Amino acid sequence: MELTRRDFLKISGSSAAGAVLFAGCTPPEHEWKLESPVLLPEDTLTSFENWYASVCRQCEAGCGIITRVVEGRAKKIEGNPLHPLNRGKLCARGEAGLQALYHPDRLRTPLRRTGPRGMGQYQIISWDEALNELVSRLKDQQAQGSAGAVALVTGPLRGLEAHLVTRFARAYGATSLAYAPLEETALQAALKQLFGQDTYPVFDIARANYILSFGANFLEPWISQVHYNRAYGEFRQGQRTQRGYLVQVEPRLSTTAANADEWVPVTPGTEGVLALSIAYVLIDRRLASPTVAQAMTGGAGVQGLGAFRPEEASRITGVPAERIEAIAKALAERRPALVLGGLGPAGHTNGLFNLTAIYALNFLLESVGRPGGVLLNPAPPTPELAARAPASPFLEWQRFAERLRTKQPRPVNILMVHDANPLYGLPPAVQFGEGLKNVPVIISFSSFMDETTAMADLILPDSTYLESWGESIPDPGPGFQAVGFQQPVVKPYFSTRSFTDVLLTVAGELGGQAKEELPWNTYKDALRETAQRLFRLNRGSIRKPDFESFWNTLLQEGGWRDEQATAPRVDLRLPVLARQSQPPQFSGTDKDYPFYLHVFASAGLSDGRGAHLPWLQMTPDPTTTIMWQSWVEMNPRTAAALGLRENDVVVVESPQGRLETMLYLYPAIPPGVVAMPTGQGHTYLGRYAEKRGANPLSILAPMATAEGGALAWGATRVRISKTGRQYPLPKLEGSVPAVQPEDYTIIPVTDLRTR
Amino acid sequence: MVVLLAALAGAQVVAAQLGGAPDQPIGFTHLTHATTLQIDCTFCHRNVTKGSTASVPAVQQCMFCHAVVTGQTPLTQQEIAKVRDAFQNQLPIDWVRVHRVPDHVRFIHEAHYTGLRARNPGISTQNLCATCHGDVASTIKVGQVRQLRMGDCVACHRANNAPTDCTTCHK
Repeated sequence: MELTRRDFLKISGSSAAGAVLFAGCTPPEHEWKLESPVLLPEDTLTSFENWYASVCRQCEAGCGIITRVVEGRAKKIEGNPLHPLNRGKLCARGEAGLQALYHPDRLRTPLRRTGPRGMGQYQIISWDEALNELVSRLKDQQAQGSAGAVALVTGPLRGLEAHLVTRFARAYGATSLAYAPLEETALQAALKQLFGQDTYPVFDIARANYILSFGANFLEPWISQVHYNRAYGEFRQGQRTQRGYLVQVEPRLSTTAANADEWVPVTPGTEGVLALSIAYVLIDRRLASPTVAQAMTGGAGVQGLGAFRPEEASRITGVPAERIEAIAKALAERRPALVLGGLGPAGHTNGLFNLTAIYALNFLLESVGRPGGVLLNPAPPTPELAARAPASPFLEWQRFAERLRTKQPRPVNILMVHDANPLYGLPPAVQFGEGLKNVPVIISFSSFMDETTAMADLILPDSTYLESWGESIPDPGPGFQAVGFQQPVVKPYFSTRSFTDVLLTVAGELGGQAKEELPWNTYKDALRETAQRLFRLNRGSIRKPDFESFWNTLLQEGGWRDEQATAPRVDLRLPVLARQSQPPQFSGTDKDYPFYLHVFASAGLSDGRGAHLPWLQMTPDPTTTIMWQSWVEMNPRTAAALGLRENDVVVVESPQGRLETMLYLYPAIPPGVVAMPTGQGHTYLGRYAEKRGANPLSILAPMATAEGGALAWGATRVRISKTGRQYPLPKLEGSVPAVQPEDYTIIPVTDLRTR
Repeated sequence: MVVLLAALAGAQVVAAQLGGAPDQPIGFTHLTHATTLQIDCTFCHRNVTKGSTASVPAVQQCMFCHAVVTGQTPLTQQEIAKVRDAFQNQLPIDWVRVHRVPDHVRFIHEAHYTGLRARNPGISTQNLCATCHGDVASTIKVGQVRQLRMGDCVACHRANNAPTDCTTCHK
């Protein structure tokens, strides 16, 4: 019998021997078991995640965020793709908001001071007790007829919150002030003068072809970093025929300048002269429209600007005449061109002159109201959202500090502080701290023990923005009407209450006019009333048959927008260019104090309000890669002449004060300028901020811009001396030695100043 | 040869057991959980959207609800007690496997879940899983309802315009 292969398989497949033979093909017994482990694997979510839309309050711009919440705990913050300002993007400061929520040094309950002021001795009290004390003190003042002796200090406010605070102050009769360390009041005044708007216009970076920026560090914390960064991406790499060209004019090579095609170092405070010199070339070479030129020179033509001939300007600004001509020519050729001015030119005594000269170039180039230029923002959709309580200029603060100190024209009996830290930010020369000693009662609504709160007698801690209601009109606006809505994404982590809710409770307790002006029980009620108004507009991104579904969608999407509601077309009056230059004033002579002190906003900590968050402390500065510390930048040649080396601890001394910090050698800073970042040097603000680095604001001269009275933080001259000590700067740069490849020699860069 | 054949007659290689619904150590019913309570399949079989196996839930997950839910009838109380005991004593539960494809097959639940979702917009998870597993949601004991042999797989792949290269499924 012949056994074929097929037969063999047939037989063996159906026989006991086959069962033995093919045992290997059958899964073994234990594989028919399916085991449920007792515990869930660690990498498996034990519950579902939810994403809630809200608004970021880490800076004043008001980006939309979405927060990942798992089992009632916020885990991650990202950008809201539906929000027109940031369109899904977010910056490091926004992401670090989580750390504010879980910060180990957060103020957890209301506190009452027991020891001497500033010694940090507090007693935990209940909310009822704290509110009773607050209300009774306010009632006492009212009864004594000295309601005007109550001052309410907040951060810069917009929209409903500003509406509430100003109404409360008016109804009660209190003084109300807003504080921001790096105030933009000079810029806002210049923009108001030229464009007639309180809010920022749209700087259409994305569609511009050429940007001339005078210290507008729009890739760093300036107005809205995220918004401008996104636009910058389009400016460079968007679907367009020509790659956008960026020229940055400023005394120090900042991150924005490092990204620019050209960096033009300029003598601090002379940016306005440079702008007017560019205007001279534009008019003189007939690169600007003759009618516009005629109007902007007041009919005088180019002769009116004779003081700004490139040769003259070159002497003042330190920018070669040929370079001024080249920039003017490129501006005229590569339209639409956009001209911006930022913190650098604003922070001098001639700040307003600088900024108006700079922004006026947009009119000369006919970029105003055109895509790729400066566009206007419409008014907010409802009147209460249009309310604003912008930062009070420095001069007003100086006067306020004087009032505290001298009790003239009247004393301040109760000082209430919310979201502002003037004791840290105001130059000590103003003697704000001295003034505080004369205030019998200081009440703080801060989430953290900052410098000003440490002087408080009563603390009613605020909830963080992730735990409270709010809304924000994005500023800079996107060019159409938009409102961001902030909802609590988690329940308050500690026994805290949001400031706005406390304000409404107090108004209710006070009764009378305060109750009439602020009739709501909670801030959510006030917010819903605003939402009702939006609902009744029946236009924009959300249209629903009933209010409840409108409200739900509003919170779900994080806001409302109407892309059709753009600014009405207005013909702006052409500004007349200045004929005379205003030279900047400086504190200290150039003989005793040989260096200009250039103060710039830290990328992570900004003006110091991010210093308590370790994620921001450990974010390396983009140009120097330094973290957790402050430093002073100096040109290596100057340092060599002074016998200074990197990591040397040096004394930076101005006529108003001195500080110690480490030296960082920076080739991209002119020899006559030293630069310091803001943000460090806190005596309070939690374990990650305290006793770390130095605060350059603490040695600034109390000088203000000639018009508007904004702080001129660039008007201080300093000298540098050696202490003989060294301290290695914590930085990433240089931690791996650079190796010169044999086949490629490094191409030397020509000296930029001679180009 | 004849002897050999006679001696070996009647034996069968154990293959996938079509139609068989084996007894399980605990009288768990999909009917209660998936139909009455409307719990989504992926809530318990949480790896189905992520990896190759659909995964049976950990006892800890049963305790999400059964820490509180103890049952209404003596029978359910008795069965739920088994789960609670297992968790209390930190003992795994050995379920009896119902579906198993041969070792030379690489089957990935995630790809099928995602693919079927894309091809059937708006389909409920229950209906999606039922494509291969039948109406598990209304059964008390789960059994295999589809051949899940190569012909079956290929037919479905062809019908859905899915790849039919050997290496798609074979290791």
